[in-house]
Amino acid sequence: MRKISFRDDVLPLKNGLYRLALRITLNAAEAEDTVQDTLIRVWEHREEWEQIESIEAYAYTICRNIALDIAGKAGHGNVQFSTINLSADSQISNFNSQLLPDESQEKQERLSLVRKLMDTLPEVQRSIMELRDIEGKTYQEIANILQLSESQVKVYLHRARTSIRQQAEKIEKYGL
Amino acid sequence: MDYKYIEQLLERYWACETSLQEEHILRTFFQQEEVPAHLMAYKAVFAVQQEQAEPVLGEDFDERMLQKVEGETVKALPFGGAGRGTAWVSGFRPLYQAAGLVALVLTIGIAAQRSFDEGNQSQQTQFAQSDSLTRPADEFVVLPEQQEAAVAAGQDSVNLTR
Repeated sequence: MRKISFRDDVLPLKNGLYRLALRITLNAAEAEDTVQDTLIRVWEHREEWEQIESIEAYAYTICRNIALDIAGKAGHGNVQFSTINLSADSQISNFNSQLLPDESQEKQERLSLVRKLMDTLPEVQRSIMELRDIEGKTYQEIANILQLSESQVKVYLHRARTSIRQQAEKIEKYGL
Repeated sequence: MDYKYIEQLLERYWACETSLQEEHILRTFFQQEEVPAHLMAYKAVFAVQQEQAEPVLGEDFDERMLQKVEGETVKALPFGGAGRGTAWVSGFRPLYQAAGLVALVLTIGIAAQRSFDEGNQSQQTQFAQSDSLTRPADEFVVLPEQQEAAVAAGQDSVNLTR
């Protein structure tokens, strides 16, 4: 097996880890702290790297655990996140409404609704969606990271996609 | 235009039956400005996914991270990136070598000297080594005296073992 290097194999995982942490904590500063702590922890276990099947899955697992820890400690639930996001979104749509026609404003509101919906999904569904739809991981890789079976991963993802679909269709049918 | 293929893909997407490549096709399809009205509802879903793929860490992150991690290592790195913690250790390296060399020369010197005086070589080398370990370094400055002392000490020990 090729020798694993921190610089070439571990550090390049940072942005994927950052996005996962961001989906869990929904806070940029906390997500960055999470990545830093994750990489330090991976580094501290460098003696074991050669025995680890996938350094990537290993790093993602650690990242998720640290992010959950930080999000839990900060004591904020989904409700609070949504209000933070909502205020940021309304700022964006206010800004756009000054410059752009109504159609664009409607588009922005539609986006912000989907965003909110995604942020209020249970964490495990959010994390799986992130790993699948954003990072393009296989079911097996996701199962590895979350320490679940592949079929469990699919069940959670199916739930997440179904809620998103229903919500998107509702918006379309009954308006914003 | 016929959207059967996209509709089918979409159905399979909701059912979690699409491959990564097929999901990529869907994402690309919904990226275009004009999407047929009956598929409009899903455009925002894929647009938000695109949005969520954007966040990246700042450019200074790597440097900060490498400093944290490599600050602990003793090994020097290719581009002078060795942490501050290792700099002073390597600064003393020539001194370690010099001290080692002095100790080696003295040990051999004492051993050689003693091999003239006594017959049993292996025993003497052993004593010479223990001398060089216990004796303060400044005693070695005046060589002849020191060697006599070392030889005397060696003989004392020999006497004791006899």
